[in-house]
This record gives sequence, C-alpha cells and structure tokens, in this order.
Amino acid sequence: MIKSLLRQGEMAVLLAVALVILPLLLFLPPWLPMLVLSMLALRGALLHRQAVLPSLYLLLPLLLLAVGGLWLSLNTLVGREGGAALLILLLGFKSFESRQQRDWQVLLALGFFLAAMPLLFDQSPLAAVWLAISLLVLTWAMLILSGEMVEGSLRSAMQALALSLPLMLVLFVVMPRLPGPLWSMPHDQHVAGTGLSDSMEPGSISQLVQQQEPAFSVVFAGQAPAVSEMYWRIMIFDDFDGRRWQNVRGLSSETVQWQGGRLVSYSLTGKPSKSRLPLLEYTVTAPAGGVLEPGNLFKLARDGDELFRFQAQSLLAAHYRTVLSRADQDFYRHLPPGNPASRQLALQWRAQGGDGAGFVRAALQYFRLGGFSYTLQPPLLNSEDGIDQFMFSSRQGFCEHYASALAFMARAAGMPARIVTGYQGGQFNPVGQFWQVKSSDAHAWVEIWLAETGEWLRVDPTAAVAPDRVTQGVSQSIPAMQSQLPGLGRSMPSWLLRVQQNWQAAGFAWQQWVVGYDAGKQLNLYRWLGLGEQVDSGAVLRAVLIGGGLACLPLLLLWRRQCAQSPLQQGRDRLVQVLAAMGIMVVDSDGPLDILNKVRRLPEPDYRQLKALLKEYAAMRYRQPVPQQQARQWLRRVKAFRPGRQ
Amino acid sequence: MLPFRKSLQRWLLSRLPLESAGRLGQKRIYLLPTRFGLLLLLVALAVWVGALNYAVSLAYALAFWIIGLMLLAVLMAYRQLSGLHWTVLPGEGVFVGQSADCRIQLGNDSALARRLQLRAGQEGEPLSCLLAAGSSQSLALPLLLARRGRHAYPALQLWSTAPFGLMRAFAWLRPDGHVLAYPLPVPDRERNDLHSEQGCGRQSGDDEEDFSHLAEYRQGDTPRQIAWSVLARRDVLVSKRFASQPRGQSIRQLAWQDYPATVDVESRLSRLCWRVQQCEKAGQHYRLHLPGLLIEPQPLQRELALAALAEFQLPS
Repeated sequence: MIKSLLRQGEMAVLLAVALVILPLLLFLPPWLPMLVLSMLALRGALLHRQAVLPSLYLLLPLLLLAVGGLWLSLNTLVGREGGAALLILLLGFKSFESRQQRDWQVLLALGFFLAAMPLLFDQSPLAAVWLAISLLVLTWAMLILSGEMVEGSLRSAMQALALSLPLMLVLFVVMPRLPGPLWSMPHDQHVAGTGLSDSMEPGSISQLVQQQEPAFSVVFAGQAPAVSEMYWRIMIFDDFDGRRWQNVRGLSSETVQWQGGRLVSYSLTGKPSKSRLPLLEYTVTAPAGGVLEPGNLFKLARDGDELFRFQAQSLLAAHYRTVLSRADQDFYRHLPPGNPASRQLALQWRAQGGDGAGFVRAALQYFRLGGFSYTLQPPLLNSEDGIDQFMFSSRQGFCEHYASALAFMARAAGMPARIVTGYQGGQFNPVGQFWQVKSSDAHAWVEIWLAETGEWLRVDPTAAVAPDRVTQGVSQSIPAMQSQLPGLGRSMPSWLLRVQQNWQAAGFAWQQWVVGYDAGKQLNLYRWLGLGEQVDSGAVLRAVLIGGGLACLPLLLLWRRQCAQSPLQQGRDRLVQVLAAMGIMVVDSDGPLDILNKVRRLPEPDYRQLKALLKEYAAMRYRQPVPQQQARQWLRRVKAFRPGRQ
Repeated sequence: MLPFRKSLQRWLLSRLPLESAGRLGQKRIYLLPTRFGLLLLLVALAVWVGALNYAVSLAYALAFWIIGLMLLAVLMAYRQLSGLHWTVLPGEGVFVGQSADCRIQLGNDSALARRLQLRAGQEGEPLSCLLAAGSSQSLALPLLLARRGRHAYPALQLWSTAPFGLMRAFAWLRPDGHVLAYPLPVPDRERNDLHSEQGCGRQSGDDEEDFSHLAEYRQGDTPRQIAWSVLARRDVLVSKRFASQPRGQSIRQLAWQDYPATVDVESRLSRLCWRVQQCEKAGQHYRLHLPGLLIEPQPLQRELALAALAEFQLPS
C-alpha cells in the first residue's frame, strides 16, 4: 500500500518537472528539452515496470556526450541559455539516479528551481500563468510524494497556493530590491535585438517599421507635447561610405549651451538595446542609471536587456548650441567621391540661400515640391551614385533615404551634418494614460550645424515630403500601410480600437507594476503608504510586520475552521461550564446519562431542554463519522441554552 | 546530526513529567524544517539571488511563493499535533525475549484528519497512523525486553511531517506506564510429574460436559466456573463443580525450596515460571511459595504469580 503510494508520488514528480521545463522548448535549441522530456518519460516507464536502472558507468559517458552536444550547439555552458540547458540536462540524468525518497525530493527541489528558468527569457503575463501552473503541479507532486492521499490532493495543492499567495504578494512588494546587479553575466550574443541597428542603409528602418512590436512606453508629467515634437533620439551616424551611414567617431566630449525651450518631465520604460534607450529631444541632465553621451544620447551604465525605467526632463524645442573645432567641422563634412549631380545641386542651394538657414529652406522646398513620394517599397538604388539616382530619377523613399540624401547634400554644400535615428511620435492610450511607442514609429532625421549661430539644427526632410508622418504616424502617411497593417488603419472599428487600447493598457500596467517593479517604484510605494522615507531595515520590518499580519488572516480563518475542537466537544465543554456556574459539577468521565442524573433538580423546562440536547449529543457522539453539519447546528442550540431565564 | 543534540534531548526529557494522559499544546510541540524543507529554502534563496542579479521580477514571485509555502507548512505541521489527546494503556506482560507492546491511545477530537508517526526514543522503528476526524486509535509499539523485571515505558516521540514533508512537528511524551518481563520458562518435567499423581488430567475431561453440581463460590474459583446465568437472575455468586475435577481439592505446591541450594536464582525462577504456566494451562490449582511471599489461588493468580517471579529480588 505504502509502496504503491510512493510510486505514485514518484510519477507525480516526473510529471511535474516535465511540465515545468516545457516552455524551454521555445527558448533553447529544441532538441535539448525534447531529449530531457523523453528521458523523463523513459524513467516513468522504468518506474512503472519496476525495472532495473542503468548503471552509473553507462550514464556518465552519456551525460558527457550530451554536454558535448550542448557545447557544440550553444557554444557556452554559462549565462542564461547555457545555464538553463545544463540544468535541465542534469535533471534528466538525476531522474535515472533517483531511487530513494530523498533522491526524488532533490529532483522536486530542482524542479522548483527550474520553474525560474523560463522567466529569464520571458516575463509576459503568459509566463506568469505558466509559473502558477508549474507551482501547482510541483506542490501537488510534493503532497503525493510525502504520502498524502491522491484523492483531493490537487484541491489541497490549490488551497495551499492560494493561502501562500498573499504572503508572496506582501514579500514581493516589500522586500528590498537592488538598483543594479550583484555581478554581471556574459550576455548571449546571437540573440538578435528588435531595436535599431548599428548602421543605417536603405531598408534598415523600413524593415523595422513593418513590425508592430511595442518599443517603449512613456508617461508625461503634466501636459504632453504635440506628437510632431516627439523626437526620441537613440543613435547618431556620422560617417557615410556612399551607401551606408555608420557611427565611426563618437565624439568624446562636447560643451553644449541650451537656449530657450520648454521644460517637459517624463518617465520612460523600455528594454534597452545595446545599453541604449531613447531620450526625448533634448534631455539636459543625465537620468539616473546612465550617462549622457555627446549628441544628447543616453547610455545605460549596465549591460543587459532587462526592462529599464527612468525619469528625465527635457527642454522641448531648445537651441542646441555647441562649438565645433576646425577638425570636427571637417569630419562632419567628409564625403566619399561620387554623386556629382547632387554635389552640384547642393552648391546651388547654398548659393541661393546665402547662409545655412537659407540652404535648409531651399532643400526642404526641393523635397516638398520636387515630386518626391513617401513609400515603404522604393525601387532599388545602385551603390555607385545612389544619391544622384534618388534625387533625380527614382524620387521614392522612406525616411532613411530622405535623411541620407539631405545629410549628403548638406555635407556637399560644406556644412557639418549628421544623421540621428530613433523614434518619432507615439500613440496615446486613454485607458492606461500613457504613450505607447512602437517599432513602427522608428525614424531617421538630420542635424545640420549652422556656422552662423553655432547650433545643431534638426531638419526632418520626411516631414517636408509627408507632413502626416510626424503628426499622425506612419500608418496615416503611407496609403499602402493601411491595408498592410490592419491594426493601425483608419478603417479600424471603434470597438476593436477599445479592445486594443485596453489590451495595451493591461500590458503597460503589467510592465510598470510587475515586470518593472524596481527599487524606484518600491521607494515611491513606501512613501505613499507612509512606511518610511527610505527603504531601510526599519521600514522593511514595519512593512513585513503589517503586511505579513494581513496576509496571515486567511491562515487564521483556516485554523479556526479546521483545528478548532469538534463542535461536539465544544458544546459539551460549554454545557459543563454552564452547569458549573449553577453549582453542578460534571467530571470528564461523566457520560450524557450521568449528567442528566445530576441535573434532575433543575426546573422542568430547563431539564427538558437539557435532556433533548444530551440525547442528541449521545446519538451523534457514537456515530462514525460524526455528522459535522448536524453537530454544528447542535452547537448553536447549546450556545442558545440559558437555564433559569424562561 | 548536531553535536549537542543528545544533551539537548536529555535536558528536554528531564523537563517533562511522567504522565498517564495529556493533550498536546503549544508548550509541547516543537517545529523544525526537514532536510527537504532546508533544501527548498536553499532553492528559494538561489532563485532570490538570481532575481536580484538579473532583475527578473517574476522570479521574486517564485522565491517568495516558496517562502510562503514554507510558512504554511509550519502551520499545517503544527496543526497535525496540536490538540491531540493521548492516554497510556497498561502493558501486557511477556516472557523475556518476547516482544512486548508499549500501548498508547491517541484521540483526535478536531475536525481534521491527522497523519502521525510514533517511535520509541530516537532510533526506534516508526509506526504510522492515520487518525480520522473525531476518532481515536490505540497504537502498540513493540519493545524487545531482554531482562526480567519491570520495564518502564520508554520516552516516545510523536511527530508529523504532513502534509508537505517540509516541516517536522514533534513532541516528546513520557508515558507513565510499564510492562513486565517474566522469567524465561525452562521446562522442569521431573518436578512437574512428581506432583502430578492426581493426574494433572487431560484438558478434555475438564469441560462443562462433566458438569456435576452448583456450589457456593469459593475464593480461587476461576471466572470460567462462575455460573453467570444464576448471578444474573438471583444476584448470588455460585460456582459450577465438575465431576472429573478433583483439583478443586488438590492444590499443587510450587516452591522455591523444591530445588537444591546449588541451583541459582534465575534458574529457579525460570523453572517455577514454567510450572506456573503448566498449571494454568491444565486449569490446576496451585500455590506459589517464594521466600517471604505466598501466592494462594485467587482471581488473576497467574498475573500475580508471574509478576512476583518477574520482580523477585529486584528493586522496584
């Protein structure tokens, strides 16, 4: 009996760990979780037949073989992927080495640890649901392994998790978070980021625009700026090879004088790509957690692609004044040979316009009136004289074509110029009261340095070609996009829009309060709850005591319901008390009839009432099992019994 | 496991009074994590450190959920023992070398089933029991008695790791009870036959089929002889007499002095013990003579005689 129970417990453990590692199929090379899952299945079959386990001499070489295969396919045994892969492999082999209950407990504990692995790759609400399912099956297996009956064990497991949920929530909110990592781990190189790439060439942004991934979300303190003012800077490209723009130099320092502008405070949450996060033009002081790089770019102090949130203030539409040395000016004017027609046109604009501002006016006018069109599918340009071809024949392109062309023209006209990439615009979500910026908002524009005022001037040629782009977003400015991206077009019915907004808002709340719950959020919450001005030991202690006390309330209820004395015993104790108060002593060995004998002298109504109660007591006391419902009703009647008050 | 565990336990036990019944409460129940519980705590710690390092918010949830489960396990394991009634039952004597039972009754008057384990001392073989709500059950722990005499019940450890196996709630009991180990019977046919001239008859002849008459009850009549129907009807004690039963008159003498001085104490006791057994089996009346002690035929004579032999010349 006990043996067969234990065997069920072992089966439950195998089943639970198999379920736990299931999501890793998505994140690891699939052959590995498949291998481990089939090992677990094989172990289950051996268990069922009570067959002999393979010897250690067979297992060890196999393990080495598998680790070798792992090394060949991942090139690493540490870090997020390598570590998770190695752990599940060990789990598979440990199952073949599990004989006693203690081994199975180790396996189960390993299962609890492995439940954390998928979270390293994904922290969506779906991952949270899977975590809850994993915990449920693990707890269930734990119950069966420790000898609980299989019947009702799933219910017990659910109850246990439900009871420990409030404790978990309190600790989750209250336990101090660290602002940075304890140690840094090597990051997986081959995981492609969804962000902007390191260089810009025709096609690099238009590819990105076709994805609908959320890029980051923003909450403005107070009035939000106009959409056309939202330029989110991420990277600067300063070198052109005739086709591709790259960042070669990366200024080591710059001295900036900001002039004018309107102060806007905002908080931004997003996943950094290569440690970079967007900044609203122009953010004057570096947000906490990173540094401001020359060119008004934000670089995080730490590596990693975990969600990051920061608060920042920007001077909207300020003048970006800085001094460029002779050498710097030459650097920003450098061009490869080629594109003679464009060079000539640039010089012409310069001559017409007189100064830098005049050049910009002339250029924008050319783009506006020159028959250019804004499209995601421009004809291919050849690599020789690509700018000439774009400016004079094809005249179709996306923001990267226009930015590239304008920066070329400015340089050709002898003006320092560079390309800025990032995002432009965003959509307001009225449900969650935040701005969502998606990858489809990716954008590129140009900065030209005006020698007269010493100012980097933002010039967006795309805005001249397709003014809707900067005021209403890409889907409104490219007719083809409306059919291509059904979620964005004008044709979207309002209910669908509402659903989408609600979904986004839920995602935002999840991101802000669960995934992005960090030291900063925690401090705000502590202050808001009045627990303390700092998350120090005193405040944490207070919070744990108060929160823990609240979280234990359900436990208390359970205690009262299940561990209290049975109603029969309680009722008898109460009767003994009542009688003692009237001078009638009842001892423990007295049965119902003895008690009845002792109360003969009570007034008639009391006696009759008591007799009925005791008769029922006797009837229930010697029934197996005791009818609980009836016993509780009886207890209520006992409590209502007040002798001498008729 | 711990170096000071033994002395800690001795101190713990010395604080406990000998009791014949009791109810487990807060003062008596101790809680410690099991090995598995410690392992799971370690896992929670590892997940927490990982969550700190990688800033994985949901991993915090996992770590804290495990902690929550541990806390719940503490409460639930405590609940297994809390409020449990226990009563010591008297032990039945056995002969040296046989296994005696240390008997204890557990009562559960709560509305919750309990899964308990009981063992003698620290190393004994554990005994499991599942105590349904509102039920009671008596358990018998086998004790191997190697010497004759009175053996006090050992200290008992009652524990439960239910329902998760993460926490162990335990309580020590010092039951006020004992069990007697009678001397090992050694056959002594010679002396048995010597005194069996009355024909320590064949049992077949002793039964009711040879009923002769009813007579007044005499000290020493066995319960088997009492005419219960008469007692019930007329409230007088009357014994049945049997035709083939001359033993009522013949009383066999089992004496310490039956043996020469060269025979040592234990051998004498063992032989006397065997003879007491034989008489009891045959339904023969007997009288046991020990130095300073005489046991006449009387109710429960067997128990008295064997107890006297068991405790002979031993400090009680």
